[in-house]
Amino acid sequence: MKEKTQTVFDFSGDVAVEISGLDLYYGTFHALKNINTRMMRNKITALIGPSGCGKSTLLKTLNRMNDLVDGCRVEGTVKVGGTDIYDRRTDVAVLRKSVGMVFQRPNPFPMSIYDNISYGPRTFGVKKKGELGEIVERSLKAANLWDELKDQLHKSALALSGGQQQRLCIARALAIKPEILLMDEPTSALDPISTGKIEELCESLKEELTVVIVTHNMQQAARISDDTAFFLLGELIESGPTEKIFSSPEKEQTLNYISGRFG
Amino acid sequence: MKVTASSTARRKDAAAKVVFAASAAFSVFAVFAIVFYIIYESIPALSEIGVFNFIFGTLWAPTKEFLGVSERFGILPMIVGTLCVSAGALLIGGVAGVFSAICLKAFCPKKLKGPIIGMINFLAGIPSIVYGFFGLTVLVPALMKISDTGSGKGILASSLILGMMILPTVTSMTKDALDAVPGSYHEGALALGATPQQAMFKVTVPAAKSGIVTGLVLGLGRAVGETMAVMMVAGNVPDFPTGLFSNIRTLTINMVAEMGYAEGLHRQALIATGSVLLVIVLALNFGIGIARRPKKDRGGRSRSVKTSEHAASASAPVFRKSGKGCTALKYFSIVCVVAVAAALASLIIFILVKGLPNISIEFLFGESGNAGMTLRPAFVTTGMLIVIALAIALPIGICAAIFLAEYSKRNSRLVRVIRLFTETLSGLPSIIFGFFGMLLFCELMGMQYSVLAGGITLSLMILPTIIRSTEESLLSVDNALREASLALGAGKLRTVFRVVLPSALSGIVTAVILSIGRIVGESAALIYTAGAVSYTPQSVMDPGSSFAVMMWLFAGEGMYMDYAYATAAVLLIVVALINLAVVLVKKKLSVKAFGTSGSRAARGKADRTKETK
Repeated sequence: MKEKTQTVFDFSGDVAVEISGLDLYYGTFHALKNINTRMMRNKITALIGPSGCGKSTLLKTLNRMNDLVDGCRVEGTVKVGGTDIYDRRTDVAVLRKSVGMVFQRPNPFPMSIYDNISYGPRTFGVKKKGELGEIVERSLKAANLWDELKDQLHKSALALSGGQQQRLCIARALAIKPEILLMDEPTSALDPISTGKIEELCESLKEELTVVIVTHNMQQAARISDDTAFFLLGELIESGPTEKIFSSPEKEQTLNYISGRFG
Repeated sequence: MKVTASSTARRKDAAAKVVFAASAAFSVFAVFAIVFYIIYESIPALSEIGVFNFIFGTLWAPTKEFLGVSERFGILPMIVGTLCVSAGALLIGGVAGVFSAICLKAFCPKKLKGPIIGMINFLAGIPSIVYGFFGLTVLVPALMKISDTGSGKGILASSLILGMMILPTVTSMTKDALDAVPGSYHEGALALGATPQQAMFKVTVPAAKSGIVTGLVLGLGRAVGETMAVMMVAGNVPDFPTGLFSNIRTLTINMVAEMGYAEGLHRQALIATGSVLLVIVLALNFGIGIARRPKKDRGGRSRSVKTSEHAASASAPVFRKSGKGCTALKYFSIVCVVAVAAALASLIIFILVKGLPNISIEFLFGESGNAGMTLRPAFVTTGMLIVIALAIALPIGICAAIFLAEYSKRNSRLVRVIRLFTETLSGLPSIIFGFFGMLLFCELMGMQYSVLAGGITLSLMILPTIIRSTEESLLSVDNALREASLALGAGKLRTVFRVVLPSALSGIVTAVILSIGRIVGESAALIYTAGAVSYTPQSVMDPGSSFAVMMWLFAGEGMYMDYAYATAAVLLIVVALINLAVVLVKKKLSVKAFGTSGSRAARGKADRTKETK
């Protein structure tokens, strides 16, 4: 196998993600059609649209989780931190270290809280107890879980409530210091109180990193995001500052969707 | 934090994939090796005797110049004998097995389901030597009273014992097939006014037909290949059967009974007998493969609906309540379960009553030799066999399962081929493994009769169990865990070993326990690989006898019947413990699996809130 060049992402600029001419196919199904958009650093970008519009698919192209889907084909360029992530030489492991992901359904490993969080750092060669302990504390604090869980780090993660599990998954993603955090409907399986906590968390997270969130919930998008992109049937209909999208959208489809006429 | 990983990790991933693929290919290789080596070793006999004379010859006279007849090797009587007892077993065990499963599915109170399933599993775990011994000491004397030949042994006795042995296979396959039928069929039938038993027998059972047939064929394969049990009750006379009580000899009996002293052409003829058995079993397996292939729509002949000429003039059809036949079948299925329970209970009670009083510390652990036999060699030998067989089969089996579950597309052609061969391997009779081990490990590789040779042979036998059980539990691990790990930048290898395998632990532990059960009860595969001796092995290169082989020795000597009962009791206790362990493991470890207790409740709640939105 040829030695791959080290994959490096540069997040010093304002643009964290730049997508141009992206087409994505699942077999013969054209799931994303000629997508061109940007996601800005230290902002929360919300992807909205009805089910099956391609918003989750787009999210998964950003850390190449789509690689796991049989028959998935990607054309066009997706630049993360200035680097084309669909380049042959890109190291997927390093990409996913820089672009973390939180899933729709909380998916903690059947291990202790401590082991869940140190799983990522251990993957990338962190072995020392002290270092891991610091990471665990920092990550849990960042996910507003430290006060609740600091005395039960060795309890099974499965014993936590659904909302705590989801915040643990966020903490787990934060443990490897990603630059971008992808969230795929992170609150759709949670009760309103847990949802509120996660939304608060998103606000504080954007100081450190860039958040891209897929949501079904338009109020949520309006509440927490800086930018919004609206998708319909695989096409990006409109994107821009959230305020503008929700107050004076340019396209009629956008207006229909956000005013609840379909979806 | 430094970012290591990348190219070395990727190279490791690639190397690991090769290891997994090689392990998965191993069972394919093993099947080919067994088939070709046994057929290869049969060629001398077949060419000397002639294939036609061998298969269709009616006289088996292996001794040179005996009573004026020169040696003859014709196995037709044994082929016929094998087919007769197998058909009898299918008639008894197959019918009882299918109806037991139907009863379990539809007509049994919920509270009794667990115990009945436990009973079937217990039946499946009883070693064949114990069945044979039960037949010899209980069934044969009982049948003698109604026999017209004065002998209780023969076709009927063999069919009954074999029927009992194949019943668990048939029942569990039938139950799986019935469970796979959508419940809506049943509801649909009920909504048309069918009684539950009519719905069961007219709709659900026909829908499960292919699975039931597969179970019956598997049972048939097991009956054809069974050795030790049938040897004790068949009578062992190489003649054509003429009635229910004619003493007969099956192919397997021929192989085991004479191998100990056969030489030259006689010995080669016994190996050739193995080839014939192998061909029959493979043909059955092949049949299953065809039966299981998803049926294409054959188009079917369009059958015109017969209409009575007077249809127009006839009055409207009369609807009346029917279904007496189905109700009768319902009661028959209940009778089957009761009969199976009675048979099992009598076996257990009889063996324990006769065996337990004979168990003593001296008998279990005393010095064993020619002067007096004890079970001590069995403890030592069985322990060694378990370690050797698991040390070989466990890594290969787990790696193979990882390949099937994690590295290949579900239900791709490759996976199906490997699965077919794994199933073939698990369907081969123990005596075939025994002969293969004897020819390859003991003779060609020079291990002679040794615990090591026996252990390696057993590793081939337990491999399918380990692969299947591990694969199933790997497939049941929630994909969300794999995604979570990959999304954190972990490679495939790390994901498999750190996240997926630990979650699949219960399947692996179950496989290990079941394998131990198989090893403890195995006899036919060991007699000509590990040997059958009454002293304790000092090293793995010595011959040694496992529990079941010891029992065979005790029963064969005639003088040690009390010991045989005692060993049978020990074996039954082991079977009970193993079954208990499997149940406990499933309970304990499955709690650890993803998505239980707390999170399940949370998810349920979340789903509900979602619905109300």
